Amino acid sequence: MPSPHCPAGRLAGAPALAPLALAAILAPLLLGWISVAPNRLVSPRAASLPGSAPVLAALVLFHLSGLVLLLAAWRPRPFWLAEAAAIGAVLALAATVGLGTAAALPAGSTVARAAPAAGAWLGLLLLALALAAAAVVRGGTPALPLLGALLGLAALGAAGVFDSLSLAREMAGRAADLRGAIAGHLGLSLASLLLALLVAVPLSALAFVRPRLEGAFLAIASGIQVVPSIALFGLLIAPLAALATAFPALRAMGLGGIGPAPAVIGIAAYLVLPLAGGILSGLRVAPDDLLEAARGQGLSPRGVLLGVRLPLGAGVMLGALRLASVQAVGLSTLAALVGGGGLGTLVFQGIGQLATDLILLGVFPILALSLAVDAGLALLARRVAP
Amino acid sequence: MIAFEAVSHRYGAVEALREVSLEVPSGALCVLLGESGSGKSTLLRTVNRLVEPSAGRVTLQGRDVAAIDPQALRRGIGYVIQSVGLFPHRSVAENVATVPRLLGWDRARIEARVDALLAMVGLEPRAYRDRPPATLSGGQAQRVGLARALAADPPVLLMDEPFSALDPGTRRELQAALRRIHAETGKTILLVTHDVEEALALASRVAVMAGGRLVAEGVPAEVFGPGAPDVVRRMVRAGALAFHRLAALDAAAAAAPGPAPGAPLLPAGARLSDALLLMLEHGTGCLALEGDPPRHLTVAGLLGHSAP
Ligand SMILES: Nc1ncnc2c1ncn2[C@@H]1O[C@H](COP(=O)(O)OP(=O)(O)OP(=O)(O)O)[C@@H](O)[C@H]1O
Ligand SMILES: [Mg+2]
Repeated sequence: MPSPHCPAGRLAGAPALAPLALAAILAPLLLGWISVAPNRLVSPRAASLPGSAPVLAALVLFHLSGLVLLLAAWRPRPFWLAEAAAIGAVLALAATVGLGTAAALPAGSTVARAAPAAGAWLGLLLLALALAAAAVVRGGTPALPLLGALLGLAALGAAGVFDSLSLAREMAGRAADLRGAIAGHLGLSLASLLLALLVAVPLSALAFVRPRLEGAFLAIASGIQVVPSIALFGLLIAPLAALATAFPALRAMGLGGIGPAPAVIGIAAYLVLPLAGGILSGLRVAPDDLLEAARGQGLSPRGVLLGVRLPLGAGVMLGALRLASVQAVGLSTLAALVGGGGLGTLVFQGIGQLATDLILLGVFPILALSLAVDAGLALLARRVAP
Repeated sequence: MIAFEAVSHRYGAVEALREVSLEVPSGALCVLLGESGSGKSTLLRTVNRLVEPSAGRVTLQGRDVAAIDPQALRRGIGYVIQSVGLFPHRSVAENVATVPRLLGWDRARIEARVDALLAMVGLEPRAYRDRPPATLSGGQAQRVGLARALAADPPVLLMDEPFSALDPGTRRELQAALRRIHAETGKTILLVTHDVEEALALASRVAVMAGGRLVAEGVPAEVFGPGAPDVVRRMVRAGALAFHRLAALDAAAAAAPGPAPGAPLLPAGARLSDALLLMLEHGTGCLALEGDPPRHLTVAGLLGHSAP
């Protein structure tokens, strides 16, 4: 992540912003806003945007935001203008699509389905990229503004703007499933993170006092990193199933070859390396002469650890925790493959049924969760280690 | 009193100290002088047990330091290093308060002590108390380092090249501050340097090290006398030993009673080296000494006094 006021960041973000903004404005115009299908079995076809007043209002807002974004790309003052314009464009685009589909669907039809067309999807994607580029220009992380955009979308959804979209209908039909999947996903991520911390903290402490062990630990941890995650889950199935058979008490506790256990263990195995590496480098941030001065003043080993090493290393350690947490949220998607639940269940069901809406129903909350985790820990890190 | 008794230390194959025996009297400002790698820092660090000698022992007021808990020992000894090592996440005041806080002093006492110390090292307390160390110049940082070392009023101060990283002007300022603090507090100070001028400006005693051994020890005028060891001759510019010796002698001791009307005025406390430079500057062989009763210094007096 570029540090605040990093000039390299400015150079990296600024040239990308203008073409991204331009393409985002043109994409829906050229590739279509909405698509409509008479029922679920027929593939949807692009439809023209109805000319009702609310649709036109949203359309005007979209183009206005797009223009402001272009201007902000050319001269980024004030620094938040580009990001605000991009968020505005995202919301206006989504509103255009939502209101447009509501007007385009035949009244009273329950089988007809409407969805954003390729142009609208592409526009949203390009705007998200523009948002990230603008965050880089500002010298910050894009997680917070992206999260803001998602919250805005959620507010529009709550207001009923997207009710006609097939995605919203899918969601309404599966509200209970979705809630369960989100809770399961959070549980999986948190459990893997805690398990990984439980291993990484003592491991890095040991490697810290016995540097000769560090090489061995890191070799093992990076060895695991090379195994594809699904293969690792698969590898865990046999031994865990054997364990559960041998010790029925373990089975009663929920451990088994399939289910959340192999998923949590497998995900945790991936998180150990970034966590242990981060803790270890955090412990080593304090320079030798500072440690010597601390010892010379009469600080105990404990005092050196708590008063010097940890405060100076907190930024690095929190950075590692942030990376691992985001990874945990992402990897938890794969838990569904071994029957572990979570939002991956919706995604893989959707893939199996070729139901795009179902896939998206799983993907959007995953995206929102990882953005929220990333932004939350970034804020915490800024507070703890400015 | 600090006493080293046949102290030896090896780092693996490197013999850093070879049977060093040295006594530093209470209230002395003893300068450890020597070339790089001669073992000065290692010897200094045996006092606060940052280095445990492989053989021999170190005593403080007659007590073997090896018998004292290292943390308690260090809290009773001020320690100043070249890189200062202020805690970057703490304010100046918190840095200075490190040891008093470890000793459990109450807040009011710590605050009063911090302000008194900042004033003592020449920093206006109100302006510096809350500054983060990153905003200090090198000289200001080392003043804070000195204040931190003095915080709990330890009887002994260990200083490892405290002023080596500073520019000459700032270095002289801090040397003057240290001389003043030494005179006011009477602490026993052991200071490491490889700068001969610094040694002469500060030392009440000089100990010279080479290759892990103590090669000379005594008052500065003795150590810089004709019998000076080769290391000392190597450390001063060729032929300049005699001039450096002048810097170890007080001008007042070579003066004769009686006024010298019209002669340039030599400030009180000046050394013979200052007197010689003043004579060269004015092209005269006679100086008037500042102070009462009137005294004067002649070239003959200077030469007579500096002759070994
Ligand atoms: N931690 C260490 N491990 C191994 N060898 C060391 C260590 N510290 C010092 N030495 C060696 O011990 C010898 C004496 O080192 P010391 O630091 O006491 O010298 P010094 O006189 O303080 O030198 P300088 O003026 O450069 O600071 C040197 O040869 C040095 O290389
Ligand atoms: Mg040294």
